[in-house]
Amino acid sequence: MMALYALVLLPLVGAAAAWLAGRASPRAPWPVAVATLVLLAALLAYITWAVPAGGGPWLAHASAPWIPALGITLRCDMDGLGLVLLWLTVVLSFPCVLLASRDITDTPGTFHALLLATIAGVDGVFIATDLFLFFFFWELMLVPLYVLITVWGHEDRTRAAFKFFLFTQGSGLLMLLSILGLAFVHQQQTGILTFDYFALATTHLSPVLAMGLMLGFFVAFAVKLPVVPLHVWLPDTHTQAPTAGSVLLAGVLLKTGGYGLIRFVVLLFPDAAIRFAPVALALGALGILYGAWLSLVQDDIKRLIAYSSVSHLGFVLLGVFSASPLGVAGAVVQMVAHGLSTGALFVIAGALQDRLHTRDLRRMGGLWPALPHLSATGLVFAIASLGLPGLGNFVGEFLVLLATWRISPPIAILGAAGLVLSALYALTMVGRAFLGPPPGDGWPALPDFGARHMAVLGAAMALLLALGLYPQPVLDLSLPAPLLHSALPHAALTGGPRP
Amino acid sequence: MTATLIAALPDVPAPVLVLAAGILVLLLAIACRRPGRESGTVAGAIIAAATLGLAFAGLWSPAPPHAADMARLFAADAWFAYGAGLILLSSGGILAMSWRQMAGERADEAHLLLLLGTLGAVVVAGSANAIAFFVGLETLSLSLLGLIAYRPRLPDAVEAAMKYLVLAGTSSAILLFGLALAYAETGDLRFTVPLAANPAEPALAMAATLLVLTGLFFKLSAAPFHLWLADVLDGAPTPVAAFIAVVSKIALFVALARYFAMTDLTGTAWPAQDLAIVAVLSMVGGNLLAFGQTKLKRLLAGSSIAHIGYLLVALLSAGPLGAGSAAFYLAAYAAATLGAFAALGAAPDQPDLAAWRGMFHRRPAVALALSIMLASLAGIPPAVGFFAKAYIVAAGMSAHRMLLLAALIVSSIIGLCYYLNVARVMMTPAPDTAAPAGAAASGTTVLLTALALATVLLGLFPGPLVQRTTALFRSAGPGGATLAASHDILYASTPPPRQRLLR
Repeated sequence: MMALYALVLLPLVGAAAAWLAGRASPRAPWPVAVATLVLLAALLAYITWAVPAGGGPWLAHASAPWIPALGITLRCDMDGLGLVLLWLTVVLSFPCVLLASRDITDTPGTFHALLLATIAGVDGVFIATDLFLFFFFWELMLVPLYVLITVWGHEDRTRAAFKFFLFTQGSGLLMLLSILGLAFVHQQQTGILTFDYFALATTHLSPVLAMGLMLGFFVAFAVKLPVVPLHVWLPDTHTQAPTAGSVLLAGVLLKTGGYGLIRFVVLLFPDAAIRFAPVALALGALGILYGAWLSLVQDDIKRLIAYSSVSHLGFVLLGVFSASPLGVAGAVVQMVAHGLSTGALFVIAGALQDRLHTRDLRRMGGLWPALPHLSATGLVFAIASLGLPGLGNFVGEFLVLLATWRISPPIAILGAAGLVLSALYALTMVGRAFLGPPPGDGWPALPDFGARHMAVLGAAMALLLALGLYPQPVLDLSLPAPLLHSALPHAALTGGPRP
Repeated sequence: MTATLIAALPDVPAPVLVLAAGILVLLLAIACRRPGRESGTVAGAIIAAATLGLAFAGLWSPAPPHAADMARLFAADAWFAYGAGLILLSSGGILAMSWRQMAGERADEAHLLLLLGTLGAVVVAGSANAIAFFVGLETLSLSLLGLIAYRPRLPDAVEAAMKYLVLAGTSSAILLFGLALAYAETGDLRFTVPLAANPAEPALAMAATLLVLTGLFFKLSAAPFHLWLADVLDGAPTPVAAFIAVVSKIALFVALARYFAMTDLTGTAWPAQDLAIVAVLSMVGGNLLAFGQTKLKRLLAGSSIAHIGYLLVALLSAGPLGAGSAAFYLAAYAAATLGAFAALGAAPDQPDLAAWRGMFHRRPAVALALSIMLASLAGIPPAVGFFAKAYIVAAGMSAHRMLLLAALIVSSIIGLCYYLNVARVMMTPAPDTAAPAGAAASGTTVLLTALALATVLLGLFPGPLVQRTTALFRSAGPGGATLAASHDILYASTPPPRQRLLR
């Protein structure tokens, strides 16, 4: 089905069009970008709708030769996991463009082109099932985002962008080594050089080799997710990125890490992943607590949200390595819910910075009377992010903790303690920004959120609520499809509790 | 005597003949009509361009019949055709770049020197004989010397030329000594590692190889013989710097690979180990050298040293992938480095990195082109360098060169820092006082556009070139592993009777 390629090509064409439009008039790129996103959403709806009923877990497929001499193909497949995350990408790119990027005055054509190019790269990551093609997209999505942060970011942008690029690219090279190692082991066994995901999944690996190769993948995805010792790029980058960049980063790019953990680490190396699970679970719990703890003491509102991301995504790591379908489903729900709630929080933080010209919580306070709409949405998303029952985050965290409890009660207890901390920092943030006495002698008249912001954020709220009240559709889709041609038992996903 | 010469002619590959003829025509044209006017310059450039074009077309001429083993000067195999093709294309690019830049009042000699240098490079790339190799190398070095000092009013140029003269002379002497020693030991002049012929005194043959390698590494500017490169590139005019960094390096790498064609480089035995050390030193040292530079040409010098290291990794990764990846990387390196120099040429008189601030606002096309080239050198998609580097890593993996790959990855990350830094500088807003950048010559613009397109398109569709580069070595049969394996076929006959000169 060529529509899968269109998922990548359409944003790229839109990017070129936006760039050209920017040369004609500074107002022109924005409508072009919006139109591209609408088309993209329509395309994805078509793909979703065109899925044949009962056609197996793999919903769509496309394949074409690319570099035949090395066995590299343009193979793309989409399963429910990919579909959920593709929808998350499309949904979150709307607030990026509708709310954040309209006010860009500095070469808006290039800005929108880069934004759309990033989306193209992310789409590619979620569908590629040729490992080399996957790596190509993985690296490709960094470049436009790097430029976005370097040019349109805040005061310390170049250093932050640099850190971001260095961490992801460096860890990406480790993943390249693992990909190639896997391909060559497969070649030794079968005589065929291929980077096909399904073919490589049948490779027989010695335990040591499997662990080494898995670690290469794990490090790359752990940097992206982020997992705690490798998270140091994240707070800086999220803080310094322009609002649209922060939303895209937190909402979508971090999810490529979680996606990779499920699709590649757990499914390609099930045995090694199970042996590695204790370490990963410990890292996950550490991330939850450490992120929440640091979040508590931040004065910069964007930094606070960034650290809260570290904490929330620790649950994803727990879920993925809990070695049960329940945990993986919980991790996916958590990723979607985190994308929506944190994306919205970054929009709100960006709006605050536009109005107050500061991100410092010490210089905020008492904003509720001055900005009632903004403050109310801020409260709602802060509560969503702390995991209030009825909203999506609760479902994700609950499922993950349930799955974790079955294999390791202490880790589950630590994770639950993180939830308490998350309530603390989320409410502290609301209290310091919106309630309490205003600094100095009150706020001057500030423009509140208009209908556009309320509509987009309201839609995000509705989605979170739907996810919280009726998560079953996402849960049904979220399990990664089994490896079609694989004879391996999927111990990691079907084996239930760890032996 | 004359008859012998004519009999030997068919053995010479067509591009060499065409280049030589073109040089004669150009000499005649200069002699007949001393140009005081513009027309002479244009005629010279046209002759040079036509010569390069014809020589390129000559690559497709049928291979000459094989002469007797010992008399053979050239190996006109696929590896030569590929290297010579890259050399001729790069020379054409440099001609386009220098169309106006080198031109002062006397541009014809510059074109002559360019052609001579190209001839030397092609001979170096194709020689199967130590004497042919040395003659080619000296032709290349001497014309480079003339080119570097072509505009003596640039004070740095004379200094650079002096530096190049002294070091090139020294390294040539070392190389020659090594070749002589090899001849003394084995009694034949084939350009290959003397150890392969099972000499009586391995130690002597080893010393000969070491001396030859030292000479080659000097010219290739592989670490630790790299110190001259940054100064020379900095002092030379931009097109000449491009010539040194691209044409002469391609030629010498092709020759280096040919030199090792019959040697087993797979293990950790002696020559492989030396090469590995040089590779690591070049990768790490080159990138560290480039790291702190404030001048773009010096930065590119460091990057060029590092890329020689990457190429050595490919050379050391014997196997079907290693050979192909070296050939592919050579093309990617040539396009990106030539493009980077062309971008420097498109904004003349701005040698300092700081002068490039705000380039994305002032000259967006040039800034974009330079960014693409640097992305390619850094190995960032969609530029071709991404695939080229992945290809080399693949080759290294298949040959189990884990230590080399670790060094490659570490140095790539260092490299990323300074390549990104250039992009960052170009993205920061310019101070209002920045001097307006001069306009680019039309030749440079065309070249830059073509190279940028090639870099991106090759990066997106590397398939055909990969096919071609692997096919270069297919002829060697299933076990064909080493570079220029067709060389083996050439020498498959029994080794020549060895004359013992010593003792």
